[in-house]
Amino acid sequence: MISGHSMLLKWLAPAVLVVMSWSPVSAQAQTAASAERGLSLSAQLGCQGCHGEDGNLMLDADYPKLGGQHYDYLVVALQAYRSGDRDHAIMSSFARDLSDQQIRDLSAWYASQSGLGEWDVRPQRRRGRGTGRNPSDP
Amino acid sequence: MTLNALFSKPLLATLWLAAIVSVGLDSASAETLDGDAERGRELAFTCMGCHGIPHYQNVYPTYSVPRIAGQSEGYIVAALRAYRQGQRRHVTMTAQSHALNDQEMKDVAAFFAAMTEDDDT
Repeated sequence: MISGHSMLLKWLAPAVLVVMSWSPVSAQAQTAASAERGLSLSAQLGCQGCHGEDGNLMLDADYPKLGGQHYDYLVVALQAYRSGDRDHAIMSSFARDLSDQQIRDLSAWYASQSGLGEWDVRPQRRRGRGTGRNPSDP
Repeated sequence: MTLNALFSKPLLATLWLAAIVSVGLDSASAETLDGDAERGRELAFTCMGCHGIPHYQNVYPTYSVPRIAGQSEGYIVAALRAYRQGQRRHVTMTAQSHALNDQEMKDVAAFFAAMTEDDDT
């Protein structure tokens, strides 16, 4: 049995590696979020039309400010639009075809901009800056 | 069908009614945001438990509670309404949204929208 397992692994492991290197999705999943790529994407995909380059344009009164929003919250929001868990006439169609990598890049870009503030209601503490580092930021 | 029949009185009446209703709907959607930020400050007390602690985490799934200081007033109202109507799902936010009427949502939104980093609350 042991030799059977090692034989299986011997052939399976390289096969898995080859498949992983072929698959563009799993290859992308290995790449860290890039705010720089997010900036180009935001122009290319049309995000800037409503949200502006820095995420502080609100074309419609109901649109959110994105600049300085938490990176991981933006990721969750875009994933929710993509999956249909959150529904919006415009955002749902924009998010439908985004890859995980594109979601991370776009989120990294808007999170890196200034805009939304953070305040701290706890006594004896100074309020953090809107662009302060988040432990979960990329 | 003749042109006369097409513009018979019941149809005309229906068209007029439709026009009046659509004008009514337009003015309803174009309502002004008239939130009272001072009233909102009091109402927002419970919001602070999550939105007033930097880097506070939502769990299952885990992600940072969104920053809403300086967020657009219209978006906050739209978000709260979406939670109340079940279009957006989040256990805590749904509960909060049901505790607020339309005017209170506007008040809370006005308070958060006007908030800057230098505000002391």
